[in-house]
Amino acid sequence: MKALKLGLLLIATVILYNVDAQGKRQGSTLAERVQQLTDMTNKRPILRFNANKFREFVKTAPRNYSVIIMFTAMAAQRQCMVCRQANDEFSAVATSFRYSQAYSNKLFFGVVDFDEGSDIFQMLKLNTAPVFMHFPAKGKPKGPDTMDIQRIGFAAETISKWIAERTDIQIRVFRPPNYMGTFALIMLIAFVAGILYLTRNNLDFLCNKNMWGVCALFFTLAMTSGQMWNHIRGPPFMHKNQNGQIAYIHGSSQGQFVVETYIVMVLNAAIVIGVILLTEAAKIKGDPKRKKFMAISGLVLLSVFFSLLLSVFRTKTQGYPYSFLFK
Amino acid sequence: MVQAGSKKTQVPKLSSKTGISSLIIFVVLLLAWIVGFSSRLFAVIRFESIIHEFDPWFNYRATAYMVKHGFYNFLNWFDERAWYPLGRIVGGTVYPGLMLTSGSIHYFLHLLHINVHIRDICVFLAPVFSGLTAISTYFLTKELWSAGAGLFAACFIAIVPGYISRSVAGSYDNEGIAIFALQFTYFLWIKSVKTGSVFWAITAALSYFYMVSAWGGYVFIINLIPLHVFVLLLMGRFSNRLFTSYTTFYIIGLICSMQIPFVGFQPIRTSEHMAASGVFVLLFAVGALKYLQSMLSKSEFKSVVIYGGLIAAALVFLTVVLLTYAGYIAPWSGRFYSLWDTGYAKIHIPIIASVSEHQPTTWFSFFFDLHILAATFPAGLWYCIKNVNDERVFVILYSISAVYFAGVMVRLMLTLTPVVCILSGIAFSGLLELFLREDDNVRPEEQEDEDQNTPNKRQLYDKAGAGGRLPKIKHDQSKESDGIGQNIRSIVTIVIMLLLMLFAVHCTWVTGNAYSSPSIVLASYGSDGSRQILDDFREAYFWLSQNTADDARVMSWWDYGYQIAGMANRTTLVDNNTWNNSHIALVGKAMSSNETAAYDIMTALDVDYVLVIFGGVIGYSGDDINKFLWMVRIAEGEHPKDIRESDYFTEHGEFRVDAEGSPTLLNSLMYKLSYYRFGELKLDYRTPAGYDRTRNAVIGNKDFSLTYLEEAYTTEHWLVRVYKVKKPDEFNRPRIPVANRVIKSPNFISKKSNKRKKGTIKNKPVVVKGKRLSKNQ
Repeated sequence: MKALKLGLLLIATVILYNVDAQGKRQGSTLAERVQQLTDMTNKRPILRFNANKFREFVKTAPRNYSVIIMFTAMAAQRQCMVCRQANDEFSAVATSFRYSQAYSNKLFFGVVDFDEGSDIFQMLKLNTAPVFMHFPAKGKPKGPDTMDIQRIGFAAETISKWIAERTDIQIRVFRPPNYMGTFALIMLIAFVAGILYLTRNNLDFLCNKNMWGVCALFFTLAMTSGQMWNHIRGPPFMHKNQNGQIAYIHGSSQGQFVVETYIVMVLNAAIVIGVILLTEAAKIKGDPKRKKFMAISGLVLLSVFFSLLLSVFRTKTQGYPYSFLFK
Repeated sequence: MVQAGSKKTQVPKLSSKTGISSLIIFVVLLLAWIVGFSSRLFAVIRFESIIHEFDPWFNYRATAYMVKHGFYNFLNWFDERAWYPLGRIVGGTVYPGLMLTSGSIHYFLHLLHINVHIRDICVFLAPVFSGLTAISTYFLTKELWSAGAGLFAACFIAIVPGYISRSVAGSYDNEGIAIFALQFTYFLWIKSVKTGSVFWAITAALSYFYMVSAWGGYVFIINLIPLHVFVLLLMGRFSNRLFTSYTTFYIIGLICSMQIPFVGFQPIRTSEHMAASGVFVLLFAVGALKYLQSMLSKSEFKSVVIYGGLIAAALVFLTVVLLTYAGYIAPWSGRFYSLWDTGYAKIHIPIIASVSEHQPTTWFSFFFDLHILAATFPAGLWYCIKNVNDERVFVILYSISAVYFAGVMVRLMLTLTPVVCILSGIAFSGLLELFLREDDNVRPEEQEDEDQNTPNKRQLYDKAGAGGRLPKIKHDQSKESDGIGQNIRSIVTIVIMLLLMLFAVHCTWVTGNAYSSPSIVLASYGSDGSRQILDDFREAYFWLSQNTADDARVMSWWDYGYQIAGMANRTTLVDNNTWNNSHIALVGKAMSSNETAAYDIMTALDVDYVLVIFGGVIGYSGDDINKFLWMVRIAEGEHPKDIRESDYFTEHGEFRVDAEGSPTLLNSLMYKLSYYRFGELKLDYRTPAGYDRTRNAVIGNKDFSLTYLEEAYTTEHWLVRVYKVKKPDEFNRPRIPVANRVIKSPNFISKKSNKRKKGTIKNKPVVVKGKRLSKNQ
């Protein structure tokens, strides 16, 4: 959400538009305007408004339609990354509405770009982008007519829910299906199948227990270090506090950082390797020196890394009394 | 401590005679049982013999009903005291295994004239079954690896917190007996795969039947066993043993499981069970092909396999898809689906997402519940993969699937724990077996003895297994007298013992501190270590049972439904069996609306009393205000027009109860019921009046009165507050001026005062002696 604030800071210089030169077609009636809007919407689901059009279609008083406007800054030099994502979500909603059953001339979607209508931004006292606003059929937009993207985000479903709240028009969002995932999966399957086919005379590697073992161990270690939690909750990578100190370990037992889980995963892996080394040391035959070396390194791995793990655990638990080797 | 000692004792048995080794096994298992039983008694010793938490109260109530009215009445029990006005068919919506188990124990004890109250049986059932779990884990691990590993695994599971968390005394829940049934079914299944005997397959199916009757987690078994069979087929390990055991198990298990009323036709109608029948068909196909293989030439057979396989697979798949479309097979249920698509529940089913045990698991919980086992069990998994055979494939699949599920949901840590104990048992026994072997060189003849025994035993069931592991090691060991050196060996042994001791003390600490609170009785500790018992819940429930009408309806959030039914014996609107989302949403809507709107809902639902949990006085964090957002969310899911979550946040998106909180929140029913009269209360001379200790804030809406409700009872520490809903004629109705009244009451003013206490009778006939009474009397 921070990125949103980086979106755009309004440049203080007032760009004077030659307002008088624009022919104000005040004469256009409500029906004409609705007709124009409908025609434009038939061409493109999202209407682009500059200052004039905005005044004509959105600000003019007698209206019987609502307009949802996204204020944005899409120009490359503005470097607004979130605007691009917001634009994708917004156009998903607009397109879904355009081709849905509920399509009517009671609701239009529009976009105002900062570079085309900066005086509108000033008029509405906006200094960030993107902003989603609803201009109701009657009256001026009130507080809730601006979507609170800080809190609820701007996913297409949230936008459509917000629109339903404001205008009573339900829009079911149809996203253009993302073929990339399917495509990647098919490619992967084809790749694996291809390899299997090419090596069909020599399928011994499928019976390679080491490979399967490493895969299974990696999976279990990933799970026991809480990668699934990261996947679902999406925690920050690490935490930087005001003094600039970086915390790798989350202070409470309820949360964790991504780095923390990697650390834990490495600690767990080291303990597993320690146990395996110890067992192998006693099992293999051959050079006593090598066996000794393996046994000692296994023991060190096991005890040291387990103590480390325990001390990390201790920092997260209040009043935990036990420790091993390290505090 | 007994634990660490017992682990040491099992080592010599590998090289001693049968008698001594079986004595040691017996002693270790007995000690594991005793230790497991006693470490689950913290709650009973610290508090009393009482049923814990929420769900156990329902189980207890159902058990008591069954003991009183008999089994068949229990099956037909329609509980009109729950889900008012709908009621609940209990017999058909419950897994009866738990009630049957404790009911039959009660019956037998009474047959022997041991008069135990059913409550005590319920309280101590889970600890007793933990011993049985340890024993069945021993047998399972023995089948998978060796007796030594089995003893380790039994000791681990007896005390591991991941299992204790669900089986302390008083936690009378399905899981307590289900883990035993799970382990025992797996043991019998492994046994039947190894022997290929119909007898073991049938016992496995019967044990599976017990599991089905006990816990919904049986779905895990009925998917894991087919997965095992399927992977064995993929690995080319088809055998007649496998064919016999799976087909027998599947058919008998299927028929038995359908006898449970709650399960009914699900095993043939839902997607969760389809894998089992698919594998059943597949097994027959593979069996037929194997038979053809013996009849046909090689090239013919190849084409038959390819075309036959493809056609059969496509046919089975199409059938399932068609049946699903036609509605004969129900698609995946939401709860099940949320295991795969991890974001599903959050979007679609807030009631699942609201339960804390359905959250994903942090690494902290893994370590908290399993300690060193979480770090060492992958080593056991590694050795199982390196020395794979039919039954070890099973434990590999078990561990990988269970670790995935445990990662998705904290609750499923319970299914992971047994396999972690098994695999860690294998890892530790492998280590100690090798490092304590130095002693064996003194007695080489005995070792030879065992060397001959082991391969014989293994050959019985392990044809495909890669060259025997144990014999090889032993030969190596006996050949070279000294590889590593005595010192290192003893250091390694001591370090491992220290680690295991740490594990034992960790388990005790976690059990004592985290898992032994009944959560009905709370304890708080003063600065001098003195303990204060807060018994507010039972105080309130007892008040309800004594002071309200027998058919009074109590509205509360669903968490407390079972407790109200169990302890106060009053009718509830919603309870912990969250089967009807819209009903819960209605209660949530009442709680989150303002008083007037809530009153309409409450009259529609005939509510007499409202019960809220309020922790602001003592700083109890699990109270209703902290759960409030879930009520709002669930209500919003059903009534998006009336309730909006965003209304309950401040402009900055915060949830605050102080003066800056949103007005919708400050006027909601839940807020008013929680904080009624709280503004006058000064808890402490340092804090201002109306200071909420849980949320560390002075409440924002202090002086308000209730129009439609009145306070009926508030417990000692304000933890539970009960309100009475006024009847329509009881409101403080506005006074109508006399001139506007339609019905004019006679302007009668009593002239009684202290002086003239004598009453007067209106229109009293004047009686004069000697005269008749006047006519207008």
